[in-house]
Amino acid sequence: MSDDGQREFAVSAAGLTKTFTLEWTRKRLLALDGLELRVRRGEVFGLLGPNGSGKSTTMKMLLGLIKPSAGTVSVFGAAAGSLAARRRLGFLPENPYFPGFLSGREVLNYYGKLVNLHGQRLRARVDELLELVSLTAAADRALKTYSKGMLQRIGLAQALLHDPDLLLLDEPTAGVDPVGSRQMRDLILALRARGKTVIFSSHLLEQVQEVADRVLILHRGKKVREGTLEELLSVRGQSQLTVSGLTPELQTRLSAWLRGEGAELLAAAPPQQKLEDYFIKAVGQ
Amino acid sequence: MGNSLRHIRVIAANTFTEAIRQKVLYVLVVFCLLMLGGSSFISQMDFKGDDFKFMKDLAYAGISLVGLLVALLGAALLIPAEVEKRTIYTLLSKPVRKFEFIAGKYLGLVALLTLFVTLMAGIFFIALWGHENALTARELAAGGGRLTEVQTQLVGEYRASAYDPAMIQALALIWAKLCLVTVICVLFSTVASSTVFIVSCTLFVYLIGHLQMIAREYFLGGEVAQWWWKIFLAAVALLIPDFQTFNLSDEIIAGNTVRWVDTAPILAYAGVYALVTLTVSALVFEGREL
Repeated sequence: MSDDGQREFAVSAAGLTKTFTLEWTRKRLLALDGLELRVRRGEVFGLLGPNGSGKSTTMKMLLGLIKPSAGTVSVFGAAAGSLAARRRLGFLPENPYFPGFLSGREVLNYYGKLVNLHGQRLRARVDELLELVSLTAAADRALKTYSKGMLQRIGLAQALLHDPDLLLLDEPTAGVDPVGSRQMRDLILALRARGKTVIFSSHLLEQVQEVADRVLILHRGKKVREGTLEELLSVRGQSQLTVSGLTPELQTRLSAWLRGEGAELLAAAPPQQKLEDYFIKAVGQ
Repeated sequence: MGNSLRHIRVIAANTFTEAIRQKVLYVLVVFCLLMLGGSSFISQMDFKGDDFKFMKDLAYAGISLVGLLVALLGAALLIPAEVEKRTIYTLLSKPVRKFEFIAGKYLGLVALLTLFVTLMAGIFFIALWGHENALTARELAAGGGRLTEVQTQLVGEYRASAYDPAMIQALALIWAKLCLVTVICVLFSTVASSTVFIVSCTLFVYLIGHLQMIAREYFLGGEVAQWWWKIFLAAVALLIPDFQTFNLSDEIIAGNTVRWVDTAPILAYAGVYALVTLTVSALVFEGREL
């Protein structure tokens, strides 16, 4: 790929393959098979697939925690796993574990020093992020007393410490309640508005649909679909209208008129709000 | 380079904090009880002037044992736990090199050992001071508040035994030996994740290391005919550290003269061996997939 091409993409993978050899049986397991992946800068990209489809393997290769058996992968043009690549990305692992003996503030201070923040700059950044993830009140409590949702939020805060250009979020809403899940979604959208690239994996398809610009579906280590949600989900040849004041008589007349024009009314039912929206309203958040 | 040193320092400080907050300092209570029990036992028995040697034997054995426990469990628990609990994923997603992680973990444990040895030595010195005072008071009481010439000489001997500066050398040797055990444990931690396996392998090397001198003599003496036996002896002689050499501390406890020029090469040997092993550990860990 040309340098221009590299500059356009936050992540670029070609023929990415990973084979694991099982320890005792020496059996080989193909975890990822020739993945082609291009994620544009500023895009929110969803990585979907059932368990064992290769999502985590892809994430780990982007971080350089494991090396590809074949193919290449780069982050902003730098080899994945290199210091140059890691300087520009932030990572939230699935079910994040942090040193439980530290408090929320201490863990951010610890990781902050590892991304070369110090002194007043570090203190200000930690305070800002604790505020962002609504953990200021719990900042000085030990992490072992945090709920799953709070750990997820502190995980996100540590990923944002050095204001990275790319965020890798592995199952960011796993085990998080609907309110926390909504906060995560809003945060992803806010990051996109600031021009950040976000790659996230998820099982919760509805949430993916709400935030992702493009998605890639993996199954048994292979890419089975990729595209924008519009490309993948639009039902061709059909349109959806939302009408107010539609009485049964008016609906009958409308249906007859449409038939006369060569079209057909396929469904008419009151639109339903999503359960998540209803829940958020009910708990007053 | 500056960043690397800073990262190593940050990881070392975190490792040290983690160990302290996991309440490992409680093992010091065991050492205190050992010293208190030992002192009270000595005061009730007649050791015919070997009181201080007995106390030193007890203290050095205690420091070695407690230190070994801290070194083994510290290295065998803390590094595999980072991989097991996946905290290492978050750490290595930052611009941190794997060797910085290994060096930071090791230096954190060395700081912990230094604190332990210093605190245990402090407890030991207090016990020695207490015993010396008790013996001097006994002599004073026996002489009705005045010391005879023989008693003065005796008290002088007590003081010389209790405040022997060579004890610092013995403590330095024990500390260096513990640092060496820790680095071997770190090496095994970079390839395995089972605590039992790592501790067993380290203890095996520790035991072999005490016999290393014999293996070296056999190998250099050329008395062995079988090729496989020769290879084994050469491997033991070259790869396993000579732990027996640290037993120079026994001479100090026995009251024999040992000078710093005798101790310094052993400390330097420990330093070089630790550096080489740490480098190998870092290289092994570099190639490990997580």
